[in-house]
Amino acid sequence: MRRAKLLLLAPALISTAGCVSVSAPDKPIEINLNINIRQEVVVRLQEDVRELIEKNPGVF
Amino acid sequence: MNRRTKTVLAAALAGALLLGTAGAAYAFQADAAASLRASGQVGEQADGYLGVVGSAPSAVRAQVDSVNIKRRAYYTDLAAKRGAKIEEVAATTACELLRTKVAPGQFYRGTDGTWQKRDGSAAVPLPGYCG
Repeated sequence: MRRAKLLLLAPALISTAGCVSVSAPDKPIEINLNINIRQEVVVRLQEDVRELIEKNPGVF
Repeated sequence: MNRRTKTVLAAALAGALLLGTAGAAYAFQADAAASLRASGQVGEQADGYLGVVGSAPSAVRAQVDSVNIKRRAYYTDLAAKRGAKIEEVAATTACELLRTKVAPGQFYRGTDGTWQKRDGSAAVPLPGYCG
């Protein structure tokens, strides 16, 4: 009997945990006006970023 | 109710919850970011994330959050792969998005923090570090 109750509870707990992980980012995403980035870093990452955008049209 | 009935019920409940989660994931539109930009309520920011222009309904804000969470995950992943900072990957992506994804009449937010509407066929001005 007690075990059966535990069985009922387990999926509910697992599902709650899953929901919490995607509900919000850890920190609020705010625009950072003091972006201090060297152009060479941008050039190095450019190809990867282009591929990322192409492969994920819904997100970008 | 015997023990077996309860086990079956538990399995059914677990199944229903799993289906619900899958359904929510499927509801993410294949062109979510593009349609948000086209709505005029959302624009691209110089930090590599979508932002809400003015006061948009909570449904729009929720969609923006959903896209931004996914972006953050991709940026984090790529930053780890290339030994870069998340902000560097995000800013590089912003350069690319501002250059290619903001259509005339759509909004963007540069490093000065103000929202601007892209005017006709004029290019979106890019931050200095964009290659």
